[in-house]
Amino acid sequence: MKSTTSGKPVFIARRGGPRLRLVLVRVSVGLLVALAVLPTLPGVGDSALFTLTLMLTSVAVAVNWNLTGGFTGYVDFGHAAWFGIGAYTTAMLMSLQTNGPQIGWPAPPAMILGAVVAGAVAAAIGRATMRLKGPYFSIAMLGTFVAVREIVRVSGGLTGGGVGLTLPPYLNRPLFYYIQLALVAGLVAFTWWLRGTRFGAALVAIREDEVGAEMRGINTTRLKVIVFSFAGFSTGLFGGLWAYQNTFVDPDIAFVELRTVDAVMGTMLGGLGTVAGPVVGTVALFWLRELLWANLLDYHLIAQGVLLIVIVLFLPRGLVGIVDPRGASVTGLWRRWIGRGARENEPGKEP
Amino acid sequence: MTALLDARGVVKRFGGLTAVDGVDISVGPGELVGLIGPNGSGKTTLFDCLSRISAIDSGSISFDGVDITRHRPHQVARLGLARTFQLIRVYRELTVSENMELSIQWRRVGTARLFGRTDAATRRRVESLLEFLLLSGLRHERAGALSGGQRRLLEIGMALMSEPKLMLLDEATSGVNPTLVAEIADRLREVNANGVAILLVEHNVGFVAELCHRVVVLDRGAKLAEGTPRQIMEDPAVIEAYFGAEGE
Ligand SMILES: Nc1ncnc2c1ncn2[C@@H]1O[C@H](COP(=O)(O)OP(=O)(O)OP(=O)(O)O)[C@@H](O)[C@H]1O
Ligand SMILES: [Mg+2]
Repeated sequence: MKSTTSGKPVFIARRGGPRLRLVLVRVSVGLLVALAVLPTLPGVGDSALFTLTLMLTSVAVAVNWNLTGGFTGYVDFGHAAWFGIGAYTTAMLMSLQTNGPQIGWPAPPAMILGAVVAGAVAAAIGRATMRLKGPYFSIAMLGTFVAVREIVRVSGGLTGGGVGLTLPPYLNRPLFYYIQLALVAGLVAFTWWLRGTRFGAALVAIREDEVGAEMRGINTTRLKVIVFSFAGFSTGLFGGLWAYQNTFVDPDIAFVELRTVDAVMGTMLGGLGTVAGPVVGTVALFWLRELLWANLLDYHLIAQGVLLIVIVLFLPRGLVGIVDPRGASVTGLWRRWIGRGARENEPGKEP
Repeated sequence: MTALLDARGVVKRFGGLTAVDGVDISVGPGELVGLIGPNGSGKTTLFDCLSRISAIDSGSISFDGVDITRHRPHQVARLGLARTFQLIRVYRELTVSENMELSIQWRRVGTARLFGRTDAATRRRVESLLEFLLLSGLRHERAGALSGGQRRLLEIGMALMSEPKLMLLDEATSGVNPTLVAEIADRLREVNANGVAILLVEHNVGFVAELCHRVVVLDRGAKLAEGTPRQIMEDPAVIEAYFGAEGE
């Protein structure tokens, strides 16, 4: 009864067993404590904290990108649009002037509404674009990103147009740092929880074989739009936080392609479709960039291209994939992206 | 007795090619029906139509008293229609167990259970089905690492997980070790004895003759014959179109 149908020995992969989980929990707690005491250390000034805060922002954006790109397999080239929408909504609400010197909305409701608007726009757009497959989806999202930025640029009355908007300054770097740290930790914990639910598993099923998932009773459209909207909401929230700290937004700094590129690169480097991947990868990417920036100023773009090639060739499951093989591989994502996914290792169909 | 699945005048065209040309097919509750025909006669395309993966150009399909002509595949699955694929579809990066756990009857999964974890009852069901399909030893294996035959069995297991009323099996024995084919036949008979209707596409005529109550023959997209296995085997038109063509 126990023998398998083929003669090969049964290989039971320990996929993220309890020991690995324990290590991960310890590392995460240790890291959180270290990051929490960091601002109290001598020599850690506001500018260092701001740099760290920006890194945490990138981590959050990558974690959100990974929800659609890594778990669900929909490679979004326009994810930075939600960041910009969150930033702009926050800026517009906070700089609202109703005849006279009266100041606009306070920050917390403005940022929350910013996130809600980003999520709502993502829901509306996702309903249409998530019917598209592979490169068509990616390019539609890139188009969305560019279109949103240009709409913001030409709607001068509301958005300040190309000139931008100034927010009431409130400079408290440690406070922002702690808020951001708590939110990112919460977001990562949330993703970890989500991956363990039926919903999270169903997202992976959609990535692995969407037709199969749909045929087995999963309402793929609904799930895709939910996760896409959540990612938009969450990235929008971090956009609002960023706008408030930056005290100024204009179309070119709120809508930056590089934010999407960083999320994609960071997630691939860390491990697509894993919980820790986008965190590890984004931190590694920042560190690498610092290193390259200092030493290879003229070549850092080439260096990034080389990095991508290295990932594809040697680390298809990213840094996290070295210890935990549960994620998706870059090569698998690529195959699915160009449309040779579910069908390529079909066993002997008779001619 | 009203039919469980009832399709009338199903037409499916690909450009100028009519792959399914006005086929009527029905399956009664608990029935085991075979669907045979030469390569390219439209069997898989008909399955795609019946399971609503492909839109049809004309005709109507009802399942369990519900008109599903315009349903989406997941809605059909939630009514109790499960299928397997000629070109196997499993979630390759997931383990065998995870594949099974994801193939539950989603009709019963409300919002709370959608955001819950796999429960003990589901895990027990997975265990017993894997045992039944001789796959227990592979539960932690990545589905992508299984052999073709093992994947066929896994797909049958996934179809069974959803507690279907009807299973559409597209070449469930192709690529399977011959000794295992007999096992599959036994399993299917047992499943069928528990009240699950089955419509299966097969090239293995012996398998069909031995297993099925009724056989439908397709040729060039149209229904050529229908009857008991014995009637079909003796039908000159079938011998001409199917066995004749095979022998060439
Ligand atoms: N997506 C498609 N686009 C165009 N033509 C198609 C498509 N799918 C199937 N066909 C054509 O429709 C016809 C029926 O194909 P189908 O796969 O349904 O046959 P089949 O009976 O399942 O054959 P086999 O026994 O080889 O599996 C064939 O001529 C095939 O080339
Ligand atoms: Mg076929």
